[in-house]
Amino acid sequence: MATSGNKNINAKLVLLGDVGAGKSSLVLRFVKGQFVDFQESTIGAAFFSQTLAVNDATVKFEIWDTAGQERYHSLAPMYYRGAAAAVVVYDITNQASFARAKKWVQELQAQGNPNMVMALAGNKADLPDARKVTTEEAQTYAQENGLFLMETSAKTAINVNDVFYEIAKRLSQAQQVQNPSGMVLMDRATEKATSSSCCS
Amino acid sequence: MKGTFTKNFNPLITFEHKRDTYGFAVRPQHLQRYREYSNIYKVEEEERSDRWEDFLERQAESAQSPVNGISEEEGNAASHTEAKIQEADTVVEKTLQEGDTIVDKTLQEADTIVENVEEASSGSKSAAEDPVENVPEQEEASAEKDTKMHKVQIWTHIRPSLISIEDMMSFRVKKRKNLLNEEQGVGRKNNLSVIEEERPSKGAPEEDSEDEFYDMERSDPVQDTSSLDNVNSSSGGDAVSPEPFFPWKVELESLVRGGVPMALRGELWQAFVGVKARRLDGYYHGLLATEVNAQSDKDFVSASNGTSKGSNTGGRCANEKWKGQIEKDLPRTFPGHPALDEDGRNALRRLLTAYARHNPSVGYCQAMNFFAGLLLLLMPEENAFWTLVGIIDDYFDGYYSEEMIESQVDQLVLEDLVRERFPKLVNHLDYLGVQVAWVTGPWFLSIFVNMLPWESVLRVWDVLLFEGNRVMLFRTALALLELYGPALVTTKDAGDAVTLLQSLSGSTFDSSQLVLTASMGYQTVNEARLQELREKHRSSVIAAMEERSKGPCVRKDSLGLASKLYSFKNDHGPLTKEANAAEGLGDLQTNGDLCPLELIGDTDADSLPDLQEQVVWLKVELCRLLEEKRSAVLRAEELETALMEMVKQDNRRQLSAKVEQLEQEVAELRQALTDKQEQERVMLQVLMRVEQEQKLTEDARRFAEQDAAAQRYAANILQEKYEGAMASLAQMEKRAVMAETMLEATLQYQSGQVKAVQSPRAVHRDSSTVQPTQEPAQDIPTRKISLLSRPFGLGWRDRNKEPIEGNINESGQSTVTLQKDTNGQQ
Ligand SMILES: Nc1nc2c(ncn2[C@@H]2O[C@H](COP(=O)(O)OP(=O)(O)O)[C@@H](O)[C@H]2O)c(=O)[nH]1
Ligand SMILES: [Mg+2]
Repeated sequence: MATSGNKNINAKLVLLGDVGAGKSSLVLRFVKGQFVDFQESTIGAAFFSQTLAVNDATVKFEIWDTAGQERYHSLAPMYYRGAAAAVVVYDITNQASFARAKKWVQELQAQGNPNMVMALAGNKADLPDARKVTTEEAQTYAQENGLFLMETSAKTAINVNDVFYEIAKRLSQAQQVQNPSGMVLMDRATEKATSSSCCS
Repeated sequence: MKGTFTKNFNPLITFEHKRDTYGFAVRPQHLQRYREYSNIYKVEEEERSDRWEDFLERQAESAQSPVNGISEEEGNAASHTEAKIQEADTVVEKTLQEGDTIVDKTLQEADTIVENVEEASSGSKSAAEDPVENVPEQEEASAEKDTKMHKVQIWTHIRPSLISIEDMMSFRVKKRKNLLNEEQGVGRKNNLSVIEEERPSKGAPEEDSEDEFYDMERSDPVQDTSSLDNVNSSSGGDAVSPEPFFPWKVELESLVRGGVPMALRGELWQAFVGVKARRLDGYYHGLLATEVNAQSDKDFVSASNGTSKGSNTGGRCANEKWKGQIEKDLPRTFPGHPALDEDGRNALRRLLTAYARHNPSVGYCQAMNFFAGLLLLLMPEENAFWTLVGIIDDYFDGYYSEEMIESQVDQLVLEDLVRERFPKLVNHLDYLGVQVAWVTGPWFLSIFVNMLPWESVLRVWDVLLFEGNRVMLFRTALALLELYGPALVTTKDAGDAVTLLQSLSGSTFDSSQLVLTASMGYQTVNEARLQELREKHRSSVIAAMEERSKGPCVRKDSLGLASKLYSFKNDHGPLTKEANAAEGLGDLQTNGDLCPLELIGDTDADSLPDLQEQVVWLKVELCRLLEEKRSAVLRAEELETALMEMVKQDNRRQLSAKVEQLEQEVAELRQALTDKQEQERVMLQVLMRVEQEQKLTEDARRFAEQDAAAQRYAANILQEKYEGAMASLAQMEKRAVMAETMLEATLQYQSGQVKAVQSPRAVHRDSSTVQPTQEPAQDIPTRKISLLSRPFGLGWRDRNKEPIEGNINESGQSTVTLQKDTNGQQ
């Protein structure tokens, strides 16, 4: 048996957050390593995929970048349902976006997959002078709600890959704990991926 | 006539190669294919320009029957070109008139309009030179003029040659309006209603498209063209006079499917949407003027939008909210498009703001920025406004409002259709865990803007706007799935499937193939069918919506039953009508729109006109909901078993795969084992051979050693013997010398005696007395020879055994033997 040790994990990841918090920019930075000053508004949702290697696993992220406007909220469940991970994004220069992020966290806790790995990303960290949300405030909130916080900048790339890397790490750890029965669809997909790599 | 926008955004000239002829960015991965197709587009554009020109000329000739004043005027025009010139004049007049009325209202804009008169006339002249075809040249010509001033052209009529089309389409709008007026009367939801009350003559677009569709279902649709039936069918009960018959409509439809020429697109779109029938003089400017006296105006807005759901946060707040969102999206609408400079963005801002004020129940929704942007590229600002109003209020009613219910309903409907049409694909996607709606949801919401290459987007819009409903969305989506389904079936996981579908649709450059596949291949997907399916799904969408809002959102929960009641009655008009054929509800229906506001507000006194009726109605609702719930539970169970089955099957498949694999491995191992054994045997043989050889060499070595020792020994002995021999030789020599001396002495003695006697020597030597003495002399050479020949003699080894001292001691004796030998030889 050739493939001992290396796991392949397919993980659906959803980005949620207020309009203009920088969700699309974060994804663009992570997936393509680019940043544009004016990212087109996201209508509905946009899909990207990117693969990361952590320790002993390869995590293939299936990323859904959603639209931020409140009314698009009704479409969000379609994208966060069954997601293994979520990145809730706010803009550190905008207190309202932080409030909105909290609402997303609440909703995910209520409606999302209970094992979901959640990250809180305080974006636009390259604008410290305009900061409205303190790190402490966000950190406290994150700790209380079992998420991990990173202050990111899609513009300068600070912490962007790290957020995804941390998620990948947690997912690969969680994967070990979970039993590998094929009952949950998500697990099934993973199983399939592993076994297929096995056969090849 | 197009607005400044249109002229500025300029086909074919000097765009960076990264932008297409419309000025939109082309993604790097698509550049190559875009270049391949741009020539095809050019040829297609020429062809369709010819066809349209021909069509419009015939139209102009046959336009004798006066539908309205302008077409009479146009009817006289002998040629198309003449018509164009005339049209240019009309435009100038109109613009002037327009200017007059507006100057009072906004000082700032008055300037603009005066300038616009100039611009309009120059623009129209250049257009007149070259009526339809050859867009680039025309654009170039006018572009020069435009660069010097970049102002807003407020309103223009479309060219007269298109007016008969506009008139035809206007019937659609008027009919709808009448239906709505009949059924609703009061409780209007957008600002037009307020104004309409003041001017009863002017109609306004209505949002409740269901009524129209009901009408359609009655009129039995001929083949596919439900939209055209819609245009055509004279609904007897209407206040509108029976529609005239348009014999050229079928031809027009096929022309539209073949695409609208770029130069006519803006105007034809307006005609399709029925802008003329929608427009209210001054309405647009009125909406914008409210900006000046903001506070009072917002009160006005919130007062007028009693039924809007956004109003529960308060009119002003809602208004602020749009503003922020619009501002955020302005730079994010076609970033970098050459026409969207500062003036362009200002126009975009005005347009979106005006729409938000016009219909507060929708306000601003992301996606509208792209629509508005696109329309501004094709037509003057106010024309764009009315086109946008038509699209959002009619075509996409209920789509972009706060709940986006119709959008969700459409996705369920599409899923049904996809399941029906592409069972294999759906099976595969189900297996991968991909929902079609993940991808098609954004397609519909954006009306394919940014989802397909621009040429394809525009072609889809051509048909969609012409048909007057959302049928083309479905047909296009189905066509795309038809085109790319075979590729999708080969994907291995959800991510790959979505990526593939996204990228393939993003590179659908063959717009003709797409539009023809869509409109010819899916004719049974028509409005009537869609309405049927929508009815089926709407309740579940609303139920899910309510369920969710119960959750974390406390604000909505506090509305509770009231909001449910409202949403059922309002968004759900036809369904409730159907569900409650029971009479008394009519009452509720008419009051319905006012209901929620009052419930939310301070009092509930007059909001419950008939409690009992409401109770009855609620009971009916409850029953229905319970039933739905039951069926949902059943369905869930079914699905669960199906899932279990699938999972089991999957496990079984996996297990058998594993067993197979293991078996194979065992076989491999066995093979390996036999191989190993074989090898071992061979090795053993080799080993044995090696051992034997080793033994042999060992023996050989031993022998060699023995030999060597023996030789060494022999050599020693030889040496000794040689020494012994030498010693005895020396002795012998001594003896010989002695014997000689003795012999000499004897001889001397004898001679001494012989001398005396005198005897000859020779005779004495031959005599027997001499014999013994003669021997030693003879012996010397012989002895020397035999000594040398001795080692080669036989049996020398045996003689070696003789003790050495014996040899030495018996040297005398040995000489004896030597003597014997020599004797033997003799
Ligand atoms: N300075 C700064 N600007 C950012 C950053 N991320 C995004 N933006 C800008 O914020 C705006 C909104 O970004 P976008 O990704 O479209 O937000 P979304 O609506 O959440 O998808 C864009 O104009 C970006 O250029 C960041 O890290 N730093
Ligand atoms: Mg975005």
